[in-house]
Amino acid sequence: MRKFFKTYLPFTQAGIHGATAYRANFIAWFIGDVMYCFVMYYVWRAVFASSGQSTFHGFNMTDMVVFLFVTNLTGYLTDSDGSFSVGEEIRDGNIAMRLIKPVDFDMTFLFSEMGQKSLTFTMIFVPMLVGVEIYKYIAYGHVMFSIGTFALYMLSVVMSYLFSFYMNVCFGFMAFFLKNLWGFNILKSSILRFLSGSVIPFAFMPDALRSVMEWLPFASLSYTPVMIYMGKYSGAEIAMRLGLQFLWVVAFYLISKMIFSVAIRHVTVQGG
Amino acid sequence: MNLFHEIRRAFRLFRIFAAQHLKKLMEYKIDFITGACSFLIDQVVNIAFLAIIFGGVESLKGWSYYEILFIYGFSLLPKGLDHLFCDNLWNVGYFVVRKGDFDKYLTRPISPLLTVTVEIFQVDSLGELVVGIALIVLSLRHLQMPFVWYDIPLALVAVLFGMLIYTSIKIILASIAFWTKQSGHLINMVYGMNDFSKYPVEIYSRPVRDGITYIIPFAFTAFYPASYLLRHTAPVFSIGGTVVAGCILFAIGLLVWHKGLAAYESAGS
Repeated sequence: MRKFFKTYLPFTQAGIHGATAYRANFIAWFIGDVMYCFVMYYVWRAVFASSGQSTFHGFNMTDMVVFLFVTNLTGYLTDSDGSFSVGEEIRDGNIAMRLIKPVDFDMTFLFSEMGQKSLTFTMIFVPMLVGVEIYKYIAYGHVMFSIGTFALYMLSVVMSYLFSFYMNVCFGFMAFFLKNLWGFNILKSSILRFLSGSVIPFAFMPDALRSVMEWLPFASLSYTPVMIYMGKYSGAEIAMRLGLQFLWVVAFYLISKMIFSVAIRHVTVQGG
Repeated sequence: MNLFHEIRRAFRLFRIFAAQHLKKLMEYKIDFITGACSFLIDQVVNIAFLAIIFGGVESLKGWSYYEILFIYGFSLLPKGLDHLFCDNLWNVGYFVVRKGDFDKYLTRPISPLLTVTVEIFQVDSLGELVVGIALIVLSLRHLQMPFVWYDIPLALVAVLFGMLIYTSIKIILASIAFWTKQSGHLINMVYGMNDFSKYPVEIYSRPVRDGITYIIPFAFTAFYPASYLLRHTAPVFSIGGTVVAGCILFAIGLLVWHKGLAAYESAGS
């Protein structure tokens, strides 16, 4: 175990350095995302003002604001660059350098991404979440934060990230066959934006569609943790959702291993 | 007519560059198709979202579902045209200056700004234009809009100058790379504010409304001209404002670009 961490923690450190180098880019993205949240905030404010009702499919105005910002923040923790990195390395041939080293292929990606995530968590996530909680306090007049709910949320986020990571690794392996991933990457993110429930909450959908969406693995990417955070699931439901998330993580872990063992025989390093 | 010749020359160059670019694209057909599909999915999701909202309310601050669809569709036209013709300005901000590749534009007997903009012809944006037109046609069938013949030229003027607003904002921000080597993230941040233009300005609070009207005038790329076409209100402000905003920004863009060129030092060897 100690050897394991000794091997992979340097990757985490490299990840932190990498993320620091691109901080200006990241901050610009972040400000763009916050602006999008504000546009949606105004849209919802107009919706509630025009409808004259205080709830919309079970969400009140405060819920909507929390949904917007927490969905965004959850995205920062659960997004994984795996498909892009794997795909790029296959394209430029750097994959060869990873394959000849005595380290596990996916662990190196995982640990270096953890470096970025730890930075995002402390610099963006925690301050923003405090902001959301202050907003809730002002809206409701008493502290709503519960450490237990937050712990369950974080557990769900960790599984979301692992699912996202292995799904993206599977996707990245497609570069072994497709050579060019750019278009598919964009297509994938458009589809996931919808399937993860980050644009339209599943609660707004017709019942049949809603239950399908909640069972699909992609709900794990955003909707499941956000609903846990917002306290929209009961205790039994939370247990069931977390179990489901765990099953999907295991499934995609196994699929990624399987694809890897097949794909590795197909590797043709381009150029070089 | 010197200016006339210049413009004709620019169009001829554009045709040559566009043809080159299309050849390059055919090599990556699948990328193009997937890019267009993903854009379509995004738009369908956004419109489904609007439809869900209007399942619960009859109007948003007095604007009906089809009026909002019209504004939304209209917003895609100037954006799509800018995307089609001037997409390469992003690359100036992100890589071209930083990698020292900008030198090649300086060695050519054509204005560098013109060469950079016509070099890439971004066919992905046809998706935006098609969806925009489809939404406008769809909403027109459900709306009883006042109509006079000169609305058509006014709409065209608004689309063109709306495009000029987008392009000029990109020129200004891309030029900053001449001093800082990289300004792509800055373009990205400001450009992202165009989301505000898709909805009626009435939904925003005063400072946001003034910001998108007078400071970064994205509201003139969509909401103001579209609201004139929908209701014939404030023609001078809505259409005239778009023209004035486009011209002012373009003048600033040219000024900053030329200052930047003067300050440009090539990167590396």
